[in-house]
Amino acid sequence: MSEGRAGNAAISEKIYYDDEIVKKFIYATIFWGAAAFIVGLLAALQLAYWPANLELPWLTFGRIRPLHTNAAIFAFGGNIIFAGIYHSTQRLLKTRNFSDFLSNFHFWGWQLIIVGALITLPLGYSHGKEYAELEWPLDIAIAVVWVVFAVNYFGTIAIRRVRHLYVAIWFYIATIVTVTLLHVVNSIEIPVAMLKSYPVYAGVQDALVQWWYGHNAVAFFLTTPFLGLMYYYVPKAANRPIYSYRLSIVHFWSLVFIYIWAGPHHLLNSALPDWAQTLGMIFSLMLWAPSWGGMINGLLTLRGAWTKLRTDPIIKFLAVAITFYGMSTFEGPLLSIKSVNSLAHYTDWIIGHVHGGTLGWNGFLTFGIIYYLVPRLWNTNMYSQRLMNWHFWIGLLGILLYYISMWASGITQGLMWRAIGENGQLVYPDFVETVMRIVPLYYVRFAGGVLFLAGFLLLIYNVWITIARAPRGEKAMAVEVPARSRDVTDIGTGHRKLEALSVIFTVLLFLAVLAGSIIEIVPTLAIYKYLPQTAKTEPYTPLELTGRDIYIKEGCYVCHSQMIRKLPYDVLRYGANSTLEESMYDRPFQWGSKRTGPDLARVGGKYPDMWHLRHMIDPRVITPKSIMPAYPWLAAEKIDYNILRKKLSVMKMLGVPYNDEDVSNADINAEKQAAVIYEGLLTQDPSLESVKDTEVIAIIAYMQSLGKKTSQQGVATSNK
Amino acid sequence: MPDKEKLIEDHEYDGIRELDNPLPGWWLMTFYITVIFAVIYFGYYQLFGGPTLDEELSAEMSSIKAEQEKTEEAGELKTQEDYLALVSNPDAIAKGKAEFMTKCMPCHGDKGQGIIGPNLTDDYWIQGDGSIPAILKVMNEGVPDKGMPPWKGVIPADLEEDVAAYVYSIHGTNPPGAKAPQGQMIERR
Repeated sequence: MSEGRAGNAAISEKIYYDDEIVKKFIYATIFWGAAAFIVGLLAALQLAYWPANLELPWLTFGRIRPLHTNAAIFAFGGNIIFAGIYHSTQRLLKTRNFSDFLSNFHFWGWQLIIVGALITLPLGYSHGKEYAELEWPLDIAIAVVWVVFAVNYFGTIAIRRVRHLYVAIWFYIATIVTVTLLHVVNSIEIPVAMLKSYPVYAGVQDALVQWWYGHNAVAFFLTTPFLGLMYYYVPKAANRPIYSYRLSIVHFWSLVFIYIWAGPHHLLNSALPDWAQTLGMIFSLMLWAPSWGGMINGLLTLRGAWTKLRTDPIIKFLAVAITFYGMSTFEGPLLSIKSVNSLAHYTDWIIGHVHGGTLGWNGFLTFGIIYYLVPRLWNTNMYSQRLMNWHFWIGLLGILLYYISMWASGITQGLMWRAIGENGQLVYPDFVETVMRIVPLYYVRFAGGVLFLAGFLLLIYNVWITIARAPRGEKAMAVEVPARSRDVTDIGTGHRKLEALSVIFTVLLFLAVLAGSIIEIVPTLAIYKYLPQTAKTEPYTPLELTGRDIYIKEGCYVCHSQMIRKLPYDVLRYGANSTLEESMYDRPFQWGSKRTGPDLARVGGKYPDMWHLRHMIDPRVITPKSIMPAYPWLAAEKIDYNILRKKLSVMKMLGVPYNDEDVSNADINAEKQAAVIYEGLLTQDPSLESVKDTEVIAIIAYMQSLGKKTSQQGVATSNK
Repeated sequence: MPDKEKLIEDHEYDGIRELDNPLPGWWLMTFYITVIFAVIYFGYYQLFGGPTLDEELSAEMSSIKAEQEKTEEAGELKTQEDYLALVSNPDAIAKGKAEFMTKCMPCHGDKGQGIIGPNLTDDYWIQGDGSIPAILKVMNEGVPDKGMPPWKGVIPADLEEDVAAYVYSIHGTNPPGAKAPQGQMIERR
């Protein structure tokens, strides 16, 4: 190291790294990993066989799917990121973490948030925004813990003994800075109760902010920190130098700058203005090379260690993880092309794509790192290499089954949805027909998940025995590090100089991610002012709003979209394409990202109230082959009328055109509307007395309002 | 590591070294191509008058509508008498019944006795006169105000007449649990 420290090189001191915090995060990774995988498996089984929810509200798909995604990303993913960051940063900077107290606050705070999620999500306390479902008290807790992590991390950088920051640390900084920005901006909301709030953004604004957040949760929670981990653990495990320093620089900056723009590719062909869609698509395409820069640097670093691929299971996990990263980041840009997206969006192809990334890249990299860290932290060897190999092969087979079945399912269903016959009519007009075709693939996917979990159980057993047999009572080893020195003069030039100037580096990074954020989001915040006011949009009645909140509580949005895209087969199937006006009072927006069931944007008035009642209580009475869970509890739970005045006053404050009378009479108006619906049902079936004032009445009111709130419909209509 | 590759001298982090390899040419080329494509794509669609999504959709919908109209013109209008042969054709009735059981049964009952929708077996009709052309009209166009969705396109075109014939055929079966009469009494001719 020529840190300009030559004169002081002889001076050194002995310190202890804090490996206890790393151990804690490893334990948490394994514990929450098992939880996330088991919940995922239960969700997968329910899609094949809905009664696997045991007919319990809190085990039903709409509520546990958010639990699965949050647990996998933030509990399993989060804890391994923290373990790896705390372990590698101390060694890369030759210093103990800034504060043991902050490290432990970070650890316990994060685990408490996860426990909070584990309790609130199954109970239905949800924002209804994907990967950001947690309600406002937990949002605040996340912000606090994340800031503690940031203080601890930048504190560690401040007391470092190595002047230049290694590429892994660039990626860690990118993670910490950008996740703060994403979380804070996306979570701005007004509470109406202890566990209920409305976002300040509505409709298309909320959609854009949410997917700016959602896509960059993938970018800055599942990509940049894991690339950082790759840059430390791959060269360490393979004992090879990094392939290209220049490539590190170019792909790092291009990745962080371009990634932040790509969010709108989740909203292609929707009502989002064309320019934003186009930006989302072209930046996703330009992201291909920067992503592959990471893959190339990872794989080519393994050159010369290829022989270890046969003997060292850790190298196997790492190499396959990087390969999956390469596959996912090729597939991502492909899926962002508007025409490809028109086929794949709302189908299982996207689910397959996501799991290629999470199971393959995040999962296998995590397993490799755990197998690398455990023997070193506990000062022993892994109990069984054989079990590690078994884990590798079973896990890989599981991922392949998952990926391939979801490709087949997504493409099959996408092609069926878009098939138009020579008579200009849909070939498969009955939605359930397209579902029945893919249900067998849901069993294959479940089998893939079982294998992936089985492999993970081998890891748990192997790690358990390893730690149980590790030598006890040994004190942590002191490491000799160079003494701190401030009199560094020659820090290099160009990017090399920047690597030594951590504050300037961080500021530049912040500006890089801010650019795309501002250009895409700010114009949208004023969009409703510029819409032609040719038709008035009515806000929801208090009862409809109640129904809407129940829709969000039950997680209906995870299977039903409310966005008829500007595509002929969407229009033929569901009616005129959705407009911006139609969701302008929607807090949160509910455009959805998956159609396990049909789109609901224009379901209002399509069926009688009695149809909805019978369908909610048992969907198979209406559609014998339906895979939707039954919701009998909606006909038992009473509506909470008392909160409505508060809800409407918050909505009014946010700009929804309710007048004072609407607010003060909210509860009475809701009761009146509920009574009309109830009486109507009762005249048809006098045995329905028990549904009076129950949640199903509110859901019916909401369903009947969908698509009926404005005459501003899309440019194209179907044949009706 | 091939001979020509150089370790960068003063880069060493916890034992990790870095090589001074150039950016791979094919990688850089990929990057340039995507950037050039992005510029051209944005220019065409956002700056220089490429079609908007609305325009593309309108164009596609009008050609689909043309196809729909062409098919509709091809079919000639039939009268009750033309359909009566279907009612006595067991194959047509069986097919019509099978389709009825998946699409109509949830609201009209497995025997047409009426649940959410009206009884189809009695002498009373809310819409039309109970003839096969009248049944077809309600089936295809729906009665949105009353909660009857239009089934055109959802019930396959080649089964429409069979379903209507089946509905016509169950008249007077007086199934158990039949819903009370609704609409006008119309005696069958």
